Amino acid sequence: MLKLSNVEVKYAGVILVLRGVSLEIGKGTIVSLLGSNGAGKTTTLKAISGLLHTELGEVTAGTIEYDGCRIDKLDPEQIAKMGIIQVMEGRRVLEHLTVEENLRLGGYIRNRDNITKDLDMVYDYFPKLRSLRNSTSGYLSGGEQQMVVMGRAMMAHPRIMLLDEPSMGLAPLIVEEIFELIKKFNSEEKSSILIVEQNARTALGVSEYSYVLENGRVVLDGPSSKLADNEDIKEFYLGLSKIGEKKSYRDVKHYKRRKRWL
Amino acid sequence: MEFIGSLIISGLMNGAIYGLVALGFVLIYKSSSVLNFSQGHMLLLGAYIFWFFKSSMGLNLYLSLLLAIGVGFLIGILIERLTLRRLIGQPLISMITVTIFLSLVIEGFVSLIWGSYPLQHIAIFSNRCFNIGSCVLTTQNLYAFGLALTTALALILFFRYTNLGLAMRGVAEGHQIMQGMGISVKKILNISWGIAGMAATIGGIILGSTLGFRLGLSHIGLLAIPAAFIGGLESPEGAILGGLLIGLCESIVSGYIGNAAGVPAAFMILIVAMIFKPYGLFGLVKIERV
Repeated sequence: MLKLSNVEVKYAGVILVLRGVSLEIGKGTIVSLLGSNGAGKTTTLKAISGLLHTELGEVTAGTIEYDGCRIDKLDPEQIAKMGIIQVMEGRRVLEHLTVEENLRLGGYIRNRDNITKDLDMVYDYFPKLRSLRNSTSGYLSGGEQQMVVMGRAMMAHPRIMLLDEPSMGLAPLIVEEIFELIKKFNSEEKSSILIVEQNARTALGVSEYSYVLENGRVVLDGPSSKLADNEDIKEFYLGLSKIGEKKSYRDVKHYKRRKRWL
Repeated sequence: MEFIGSLIISGLMNGAIYGLVALGFVLIYKSSSVLNFSQGHMLLLGAYIFWFFKSSMGLNLYLSLLLAIGVGFLIGILIERLTLRRLIGQPLISMITVTIFLSLVIEGFVSLIWGSYPLQHIAIFSNRCFNIGSCVLTTQNLYAFGLALTTALALILFFRYTNLGLAMRGVAEGHQIMQGMGISVKKILNISWGIAGMAATIGGIILGSTLGFRLGLSHIGLLAIPAAFIGGLESPEGAILGGLLIGLCESIVSGYIGNAAGVPAAFMILIVAMIFKPYGLFGLVKIERV
């Protein structure tokens, strides 16, 4: 459904952030994108959603195809209307608006007649939001704000939802709850979901397929269950190292060397 | 008693118009964080366009009102489209500079076409008087006050209860978020300018029909600035309240101290208000603000 081939992104014409990222998201699947800070995860999402254009970024090479048509030159508004909605990182609620107003704006591009039905759907996913519907969203807790921004994206009934670090700064229990809901939303609404995460364990647990990004390149990809068993992933992303054993530089980041040989 | 009564009445009447113009400031500031210094001149232009339809074309009153308001809307849209659209994402100071000098351009345009002398008076409202207690009230005052308040109220309701109004409030909070939801920020900003142009025109017509159609009308924009600031730059209700406050203060001070003191007094209130309430009475308190 969505296919990135060799996407290269430059900011302000000089800062090269993505150096040829290729990935694919199938219909109704959950795909996760892992990587450390500065690897280019968020940039990849913004390249897809078109929000890159609002930040002086540009896709300088490669293509992004959605249902067979190129979207890498389109405005973010157009891309959103085509059914790709990004939930930005850092819980970007519209602070001074109430929870329900936030949600209503999420459904702005949809048919107005369905808005009550859509609101009910979101409140069923997040029962807590129903009781908070008239509160000013800026004063909610972090977990609640995450629910608001996700609910706001759900209002648009996206065909692909791009989730940028939904777990950031949240307590483990809330993270678990949120990932449960992501799974539920995916299976009930048949939306594809691309999750960007630092929390590799949770992301691998919920997704079917994963990509590992480093320095603007995909260095590893595969079915999530398989990646979870990968020695490198275990060591660098899951924190399962053989503590106390002597380590040689030869073993460090095995895949990085391998890629260079290719 | 009579004296203060009539001062209060004229103060409130002027105040309602200040409020209406301040509402134009608020409309644009809310959605784009730009202070539109040309609001007063949009008012001037709106008033003259009404005069053109009514006097030069000889159309009937309601038709020319409607046409003038429509043209006011178009002028707002045009200004946004031609000048500020290009500046989205550019430093705020460049936008503000544009609006300041735009006002001079508009004034030049108006005096080029209609000359710099006051135009022939058009009375929209009948000039009957009646008494409330010992104060004299003209129907003209009453209508002007009512019309300004009704327009303001309509805009407040529009913001609160319509989808477009909601989208405008959303745009005020974050352009990127709105674009991510498929809402065109450009379109919303464009409409905001249109509505501001409309509000300015209505204010201009009311003011012109009471004070006369002359270039000095644009000075009201200057008094609407303190009104908007005192009320809080994001709050339509605040704009009206600020307008009434400034109107009252101006009229009372100029009545008791002297005409020359009225306007400075309004600005003095602004300064005091800013010191004690930097965000205005109903402004949204945010961390990153000018």
